[in-house]
Amino acid sequence: MPHDVTMPQLGMAQDAGTIVSWLKDEGAEVAEGDLLFEVETDKATLEVEALASGFLTNIAATVGEEVAVGAVIARISETAADTEDAAPGQASPAPVEAPAEKPAGTHVAMPQLGMAQDAGLLVAWHKRPGDAVSADDILFEVETDKSTMEVEAGIDGFLAATFAHAGENVLVGETVAIISSTSPSEPFASAVTESVSGAVPKTAPEEPSADAVASPAAPPITQAQAPVTPQPPRARASQNGRILASPKLRRLAAAENLDLALLADAGHLHPYHTRDLETLRRLSLEAAQETTPSVATASVHLVAETAVDGSHAIAEWAASTHGVSARRCLASLFAGALHEDAPFSVAVETRQGRETYLVSKASGFSQVVPSDEDPIWVLRDYRGSRLKTVALGAEAHPVVTLTDLPTSGGVRITLESAPNRITPSEALMLITTFADCIEEPLRHIL
Amino acid sequence: MREITLSKAVNEALAEEMRRDPTVLILGEDVAEAGTPFKVMSGLVEEFGTERVIDTPISEPGFVGMAVGAAMTGARPVVDLMFGDFLFLIMDQLCNQAAKTHYMSGGKLNVPMVLRTNLGATRRSAAQHSQSLQALVAHIPGLKVAMPSSAYEAKGLMKTAIRDNNPVVIFEDKLMYQDKAPVPEEEFLIPFGEAHVKREGSDITLIATSSMVQVAEGVADLLETEGVSVEVIDPRTIVPLDEDTLLKSVRKTSLAIVIDEGHQSYGVTAEIASRLNEKSFYHLDAPVQRMGAMDVPVPFSPALEDVTVPTVETVAQTARKLIAREMFDAA
Amino acid sequence: MPAKSKTPSNTESYLQMYRQMVRIRAFEDQANKLYLSAKMPGLTHMYSGEEAVAVGICEALTNEDRITSTHRGHGHCVAKGADFKAMFCELLGKEEGYCRGKGGSMHIADQSHGNLGANAIVGGSMGIATGSALRAKLQGSDDVTVCFFGDGATAQGLMYEVMNMAALWKLPVIYACENNGYSEYTKTEEIAAGSITARAEAFGIEAFKVDGQDVLAVNDLSQSLVARCRKGEGPFFIELETYRYHGHHVGDINREYYRSKEEETDWKTNRDPITRFRATLLEQGIVTEEQVEAINAEIAQDAADAVAYALEAPYPDVSEVDMHVYAA
Repeated sequence: MPHDVTMPQLGMAQDAGTIVSWLKDEGAEVAEGDLLFEVETDKATLEVEALASGFLTNIAATVGEEVAVGAVIARISETAADTEDAAPGQASPAPVEAPAEKPAGTHVAMPQLGMAQDAGLLVAWHKRPGDAVSADDILFEVETDKSTMEVEAGIDGFLAATFAHAGENVLVGETVAIISSTSPSEPFASAVTESVSGAVPKTAPEEPSADAVASPAAPPITQAQAPVTPQPPRARASQNGRILASPKLRRLAAAENLDLALLADAGHLHPYHTRDLETLRRLSLEAAQETTPSVATASVHLVAETAVDGSHAIAEWAASTHGVSARRCLASLFAGALHEDAPFSVAVETRQGRETYLVSKASGFSQVVPSDEDPIWVLRDYRGSRLKTVALGAEAHPVVTLTDLPTSGGVRITLESAPNRITPSEALMLITTFADCIEEPLRHIL
Repeated sequence: MREITLSKAVNEALAEEMRRDPTVLILGEDVAEAGTPFKVMSGLVEEFGTERVIDTPISEPGFVGMAVGAAMTGARPVVDLMFGDFLFLIMDQLCNQAAKTHYMSGGKLNVPMVLRTNLGATRRSAAQHSQSLQALVAHIPGLKVAMPSSAYEAKGLMKTAIRDNNPVVIFEDKLMYQDKAPVPEEEFLIPFGEAHVKREGSDITLIATSSMVQVAEGVADLLETEGVSVEVIDPRTIVPLDEDTLLKSVRKTSLAIVIDEGHQSYGVTAEIASRLNEKSFYHLDAPVQRMGAMDVPVPFSPALEDVTVPTVETVAQTARKLIAREMFDAA
Repeated sequence: MPAKSKTPSNTESYLQMYRQMVRIRAFEDQANKLYLSAKMPGLTHMYSGEEAVAVGICEALTNEDRITSTHRGHGHCVAKGADFKAMFCELLGKEEGYCRGKGGSMHIADQSHGNLGANAIVGGSMGIATGSALRAKLQGSDDVTVCFFGDGATAQGLMYEVMNMAALWKLPVIYACENNGYSEYTKTEEIAAGSITARAEAFGIEAFKVDGQDVLAVNDLSQSLVARCRKGEGPFFIELETYRYHGHHVGDINREYYRSKEEETDWKTNRDPITRFRATLLEQGIVTEEQVEAINAEIAQDAADAVAYALEAPYPDVSEVDMHVYAA
């Protein structure tokens, strides 16, 4: 079986080595233990032994070339004539993708310029593909975190291909150009492959060259991204600036649509704690009475009807698979209908009793947990009773009542609330969404 | 119920476990005839002999390392580390060897050992015999850390520690050895990871460990006279930590102070306060407060030493400020 | 080399020692290749050259006897009876490794053969070994614990604390100091004052110095000390003069600044424990050339097969990452 010869790992923090010389010729017979080639790392030069016997074939790394550790650089084959090209001399981690076939010639690699440097920024090309170059011509310019350096061609010939555009970062050891001995028929310039450029933070060129503009690898910077607008604060700032309120009070006040500024306006001292909630509720009610003199009769009263009641099936499923009670299941469905991200509490009342749960919009059954808090919402489930319609008027909390529709098998959903607790648009949205949830709970859950 | 000292409680726990399990042995400096400087082990060598109550040379890394080896091969050593401050001497054996062996061996090797040591300042012992270093070991995965707050906990937690298959570090408060508390005559264990609600209250939660539980109870008594209802919780083990009980209390009261005698910076109080903030932010009325020892080496002079640790007065003052909403610009 | 008469029992034990040394060498050659070819994560410390130490001692032990090992621990692990596949799997971080991939090269523990584990802290296992011996004595068990460590570890204070207690309490422990001449990248003579054995003798511990490249000499001494430990005459201290062929670790390639190539060549050519013992076996007519070659080939194949197996073996599931932090 042929044995791949790879660039050995020689140091603790070494990721590439430079071939100093091959000590066997292509096609030569080698025995395990024979010295095969010489490698230089930042620490030392070392002669590397053959790890198998056979014939040295498919040498794919030339003298002077820097090769990544683990990359296949030759093969030890059973015959001297093995030229199967399954072992390309490219560093294995990310072979540079160019047009299907690369021109023949000497590979010029991104040089390693510093101790801890793993990539270099190609600042500019000094030659164009197709140009004739001599060994001491400057081929390109490289910038690292430490310095800028001009790199010479190192060999006479023609610049047959380039594999990075100005402005791109190239991993140390990666081929950036090929210099051919004859004038290339189709010289080309390509960009660093996506995988490589993705791995290296890009630095934008200060003056984009024609190459860089044409580069398909450089993603265009879109200006069209929607600006992120901060959500307007729920509570109006007091005249003195920010309202200082505890996270808990903010959460509870937001859920009840209470304006914390009322506390500040009434002269209460910052910061506001949960025990100010009762005061805030009172202030809010007073404010509503001032703005709507006929508050005694005015209230929100909305009724929705569904064609069917899909919630029974889901409640049975939740009970059998999750052991979730019907009340908890209903609380979860209701949470999905509310436009409230922060957790809030809802009391679910049936003729059998009442339980309060802490829910949030995104909560599944398992996150619906019993709570000792004063509820923000009351949900009355009178399905299965003789009660058909309700019009009780506003209570302390907004109330949603479920009753059976006399003939169709659907559900009637009634929302009643004081006007200061919910806006008309919120009320409409809530009642219609909740009706959807009752009719097709699966859609809500999924 | 009868009342016994913390010292006697630990002694009973050790004796009961040594009678129950012949693989339990004690290693440490002056543990046999001397019964330790705190006299916690008096009488044990008479009952169990010098083969099981072993006086060692003053070689903390040596005998802790030997306890690790003995534990790995079938014994259940209880190591007595005379002062918590000596933890710094044994860090490799405790943290690199004992703590990691079970994990590094893919679960094949266990290290069922107990390291008994102590904490606590105000004994006028100065900087190298007064530290409370529980945060140091609680930081290392693989170690469990128990912090008894009275004779009752000292006995129940010690017995559980000896039966645990992991290295457990127990910090006793060296000022509390002669303090008495009710301890049942009949056998009992205290499970790890179960906090104890020492006192129920509704206005503020005090979470306190070991020596600071007494302080927290003192604060509760004091504030009760001012009409404030204080809940006091003792986590009993800080690894594992009973987060649920702490969170439940804080969600109820909306205010909390965490008190531990270790240095405040990067300490036990910081860890617990951080978890409360992360997991109950929207149930808080004020930032959770940390109260630990001052970030100074423990001074010798009583005039200086006494101000380095939280006291009933300083904790009560912080609690009053929280309740009076004076903490909003504390940062 | 001591002249031994060829008896049937010797034949078997000699062949076993030869096989075990070749197994260690084969294991290390494969481990080295895995590192060089960048197939092994991390790095590793080669035991090659020191085979006679681990094998000479471990062949004097039973499965019930314990050892503690070092960062250069593959040799101890193989000598104590470990399986190639589970070892290579561990080296590669695979699920079927001795520690389910959680330990790696420097932490292989093989409870089934009494190997309490390699230790990545130099001198870190001296307390563990002595504690294991304390347990044996207290529980009336007749097993012996061998603590392997290098010359570098003699500079750690822990050693003197535990030797003191082992001597006080006459514990069945043997301190085996593998003196390979170098403490990481420094000559031992530059880090060790006076005599190493004299340090043990200061505690009243009988100490011996032996050629660590002579497996029979090591084994003879070990047999007698293990037997004496079982009779309650421990502890003992052995300094074994040996040599590591590789650098401190596999990446330590440019080492002429601390030791010469000539010195390395001299040890490899003239004092190799396997070559020497092979010559003895042939000379005494215990095996033929063909038999030795067959043994070598079979072991090389075993090692290669185990590597191939380990390379294909699955990694542990990521869900295991927080498993085994605490025991149940």
